[in-house]
Amino acid sequence: MISRRAALSAAGAGALSLAGCGGERGVPLWFSYGGKNREVLLSLVAAFNREDPAHAIHAVYQGDYFELLAKLRTALSAGKAPAVTHVVAEVLPYFVAADVLAPLDEMPGLDGDLGFVPELSQAGAFQGGDAQRMVGVPFNRSTPIAYCNGDLLNELGLAPPKTWDELATFAKKATGDGRFGFSCPIDWWFWVALVTQAGGELTDGDGHFTLGGEAGVEALAFWQRLVRDEKTMRTPTGRDYNAWGITNREFLAGRAAMIWNSTAFVRYLEENAKFPVVAAPLPQKARAGVPTGGTLFVMPKGSPPAWREAGARFLAFMCRPEVSNEFATKTGYIPVTRAGIRSLEDNGYYQKFPNDRVAVDQLANARPWPWHTELFRVQREAVQGRLEAAVLSGDDPRAVLAATRKAIEAAR
Amino acid sequence: MKPRHPSHPYLFVAPTVAVLFLFFVYPLLIALKNSFYSWDLLTPPRYVGLANYTTIAESGDLAAVAWRTLSFGAVVVVASTGLGLALAVALNRRGRVYAFVRGAVFSAYVVSWVAVALLWMWILDGEAGLVTRILRAADLPTLNWLGDPRSALWAIALVTVWKITGYAMVVYLAGLQAIPNAWLEAAALDGAGPWARFKEVIWPSLKPTTAFVATTGLIMSFQAFDVIRVMTQGGPARSTTLFVYAIYEDVFQNLRVGRASAWVIVFFLILMATSAFTLRSFGARRRGEGRA
Repeated sequence: MISRRAALSAAGAGALSLAGCGGERGVPLWFSYGGKNREVLLSLVAAFNREDPAHAIHAVYQGDYFELLAKLRTALSAGKAPAVTHVVAEVLPYFVAADVLAPLDEMPGLDGDLGFVPELSQAGAFQGGDAQRMVGVPFNRSTPIAYCNGDLLNELGLAPPKTWDELATFAKKATGDGRFGFSCPIDWWFWVALVTQAGGELTDGDGHFTLGGEAGVEALAFWQRLVRDEKTMRTPTGRDYNAWGITNREFLAGRAAMIWNSTAFVRYLEENAKFPVVAAPLPQKARAGVPTGGTLFVMPKGSPPAWREAGARFLAFMCRPEVSNEFATKTGYIPVTRAGIRSLEDNGYYQKFPNDRVAVDQLANARPWPWHTELFRVQREAVQGRLEAAVLSGDDPRAVLAATRKAIEAAR
Repeated sequence: MKPRHPSHPYLFVAPTVAVLFLFFVYPLLIALKNSFYSWDLLTPPRYVGLANYTTIAESGDLAAVAWRTLSFGAVVVVASTGLGLALAVALNRRGRVYAFVRGAVFSAYVVSWVAVALLWMWILDGEAGLVTRILRAADLPTLNWLGDPRSALWAIALVTVWKITGYAMVVYLAGLQAIPNAWLEAAALDGAGPWARFKEVIWPSLKPTTAFVATTGLIMSFQAFDVIRVMTQGGPARSTTLFVYAIYEDVFQNLRVGRASAWVIVFFLILMATSAFTLRSFGARRRGEGRA
């Protein structure tokens, strides 16, 4: 029989070995992809570990993007950050200002031109992003796109809308029989898309958050019209990625004829829908426009040299066109290298899977984010909650955005 | 029993006091200190005086969250206590059927909050949920229960009551079984009917139990987090953002440790005040007044 002391020793040793990631299990990578995207990432990590067992990576799931961010921040504070992780683009300027991310552009395998698609790289995804040291390597990058129920398009004689007016008409015609014509999370990302389409920018030339000015008002008023006046748009329950998941489920269950969501869900929706899924670019108002989304890989500062080396080798592996393409084609994210997209064009992939092409083509209309330290806080604290409240309450959009700008200034 | 040495009683309570200090008092003192700073965990803290308190007060968030939490707590405490008492009185009988029903009611309490939340998300789904389907079948109006700011908080209160009523019932059963039969028999001999026996014998005897059930129910309702995290994430339009969720949002999502600490301190004071009020209202016995 094992004595109590021996059992405690064994338990303690086990706990220590788990806590001390980076030992025999590999260098820690914190990630937040769920479902199919998670399976694909883990298969790529396994491929890297087979190729380079001396620098094995141990991938640890840490919840959704925002849950991972919370844990990352706490870990950074405690000096226990992982070697590699990935963060939403909007938080990058904040982390850079806090000086917690290691520059990647001097690391072996990551120096020089990596052939990234400009709109998806740190340099192109931000206004003035090329003036910063490279701290983020793009991997799962996306734009919002529209997904339509192909059967309903045929049944109702509709086509994916190309303008806001067409969207409103589409939603009206497709609403009925326990179904909404349109559904979209009341979320910052999709609102920024609307602001961009209405011709606005988040900041002015001096770095003040204008929230699009009149374009911001138009964007909010458009949602209010569809949700409150015309009752043709469903607002999914929950917030953040819960709402995104519910939007997908409503679409798959036939309770929404068209949704807006990330291109990340192309494969998931195609594989789970009982009807043909037709992806389409977002409609335009004054112009076509979308923000980019998804995350960039980063390496927190302060890691041991062995972790830095393994992390850099792993990122260099993930930046290879064929690896990036594998992730993209198995999920729906955009391939992050120019060579990768070229090879998919050359081998006829996009003819076979036209839904994958939508986000790639939309990159021509992608608007870069402002490189602003407060961007993430503006999103999370000032804008996100007010959008939801305004859409549900019907408050005057102009007054709502004026109050939001005031709150942003007060918090600076 | 007389202690062999005057210090012995203190030595016996010392471990409890140490644990309380280490895990409750000390963190609370740290929160109090942090509440005077602006800090994001990554950059050095900056002293801001009472700015965190004035920010949450002037933005209207404090009043809104406090009112929401107190309303939620009041509904949950009254409903779970009332239902728990009613069930305990109804099920305080011998027999397999009663034992089964008691077990069934209590089982909700031992299920994890996450499982309960997922189950009720399905039941309350605004389009395909069980409640919506039943109401539609009866040609009654429906709501997007969790997606409408008018109903979301009360939907979560309903789930909370459903989950914790079994706990209230079990505590009341213990209270009921501690009432000597002789008292009830004496009352019956004096001509007291069922209502009079309840009013004059059972209810007064259960007052300390009620104080305990109401206070623990209040604390449980104030601690609501998992159910909100899973079902609504504080929305829609912050209509289900209670104190604990507001703290979570500020510290883990908004990178505001100082402001979250201010929430903690205010929450602690409110919790202390409401617990004291609840205990006094239900007349918890003071030392020497008998068995509690």
